[in-house]
Amino acid sequence: MLKLFEHETLDVHNLGDEETAIGVKDLSLQFGQKPVLQNISLRIPKHRITALIGQSGCGKSTLISSFNRMNDLVPDCQYTGGIFINGRNINDKREDVSQLRTQVGIVFQRPNPFPMSIYDNVSYGLRLKGIKVRRYLDDAVEQALKEAALWDEVKDRLFDSARILSGGQQQRLVIARALALKPDILLLDEPTSALDPLTTLFIEELMAGLKKRCTIVIVTHNMQQAARVSDYTAFLHQGQLVEYADSDTLFTMPEFKQTEDYITGRYG
Amino acid sequence: MPRQLALNTHISGKFNIELENLRNSVLTMGGEVELQLVETLKAIRLNHAGLAEKVILNDLKVNAMEMQIDEECLRIIAKRHPTASDLRLVMTVSKAITDIERMGDEIERIARLVTKNKLPASEMIKSSMLQIGENVVEMMRGTFDALARQDEGAALEVYEQDNVIDADYKKLLTFTAQEMQKNTDDMQDWLEVLWALRSLERIGDRCKNICEYVVYLSRGKDIRHSPLENMQTKLDQLI
Repeated sequence: MLKLFEHETLDVHNLGDEETAIGVKDLSLQFGQKPVLQNISLRIPKHRITALIGQSGCGKSTLISSFNRMNDLVPDCQYTGGIFINGRNINDKREDVSQLRTQVGIVFQRPNPFPMSIYDNVSYGLRLKGIKVRRYLDDAVEQALKEAALWDEVKDRLFDSARILSGGQQQRLVIARALALKPDILLLDEPTSALDPLTTLFIEELMAGLKKRCTIVIVTHNMQQAARVSDYTAFLHQGQLVEYADSDTLFTMPEFKQTEDYITGRYG
Repeated sequence: MPRQLALNTHISGKFNIELENLRNSVLTMGGEVELQLVETLKAIRLNHAGLAEKVILNDLKVNAMEMQIDEECLRIIAKRHPTASDLRLVMTVSKAITDIERMGDEIERIARLVTKNKLPASEMIKSSMLQIGENVVEMMRGTFDALARQDEGAALEVYEQDNVIDADYKKLLTFTAQEMQKNTDDMQDWLEVLWALRSLERIGDRCKNICEYVVYLSRGKDIRHSPLENMQTKLDQLI
């Protein structure tokens, strides 16, 4: 049959291990007595952008933070079930968390550059890993800044404080800092909610380019952003995964009424 | 399962009103065109040129409605970024108004039979034409009713009515062709009659298109270009 438009869709419910970047199996998580995630199972495909959407408090930020064990920092956090990355269950207590966080980078809502130069910000993680060779660091900083589409804007002032950059530049700097460690997975927790619409589009364009080199998971409250940038979307409600599908289907013909009510702005 | 659209349950009350107005406007436009055909049939029955002239003039109103509704669809897409059933409603309206506007053009062509005094001399042809016309009015009514209620079952029933119209049209076409051969002097007049008959048949096809959009609106499934028996099977598989 003549195909005018190509829209790739993977069957995310039957994804093979080779195609899976993050495999979540029966994940339940609670903070103290408060259950936050209940029996979540999903497979996030490699080299795609997957969006997590849902109302505030539905558990999407908690879920994304689970992917690099950021929830370990929350007192009284308990979890059961597994999260598999490259065949290893990262919830295993023996897992090397600092190694995991190198492999799975995270960027938050508010840009949080360290109070140091642009160069030192980007090379920080590498230095922490013990890399001191200047030429190696120079190359890594340049490459990360190029990948984050920031190089041309800062190449002549690499040793100026990162604080003088604009909000959008700071967010790209933080992305460059994560990219310098060559992560397999990049987690973005509402990365553009503090940015203006144009800067937001630049970051989205950056994400589209980055998925060639890593898997991206984004939490967003902006429905249009999820529809624009993501290949797959998971809708969470009160700690449960309601629907997970390719974004084309989810935003045109969702299977469940709860999803429909949420994305069309109806009271459920 | 098909899901009834609840247009008034959005958190944004203004969006509720916009979608409700959009749906009402396409139904108003449909009602207007249906009335145009009723008036045209009356004009044919009474050979009333004034009434037919009024129908022709009124088509301008239908054209203007199409443009306004189209503009409103664009505005809603640009400003509201509708998704899921809301998006399907906007797309359905946008496509349905094109069909309704074309129905108006077909009706205008039929009405010109009266203003140009080209009504068929044969009472048999005239009454058969009126009978087809009545069936088409019935089909239009059913179509807009199915659209108003987003009732895919009703839409499929109306869809089948087109078979009757097509069969009657073919019979009348054969009969008219025979009459033409008997009387070849007024070939131009005969052609006008044939075009008018064709227009009636085309209105039935336009109704079918809208019935297909109703299924799309209700189910999100595109059933265009499928034979009727396949459509029901396709829908049954979805339940």
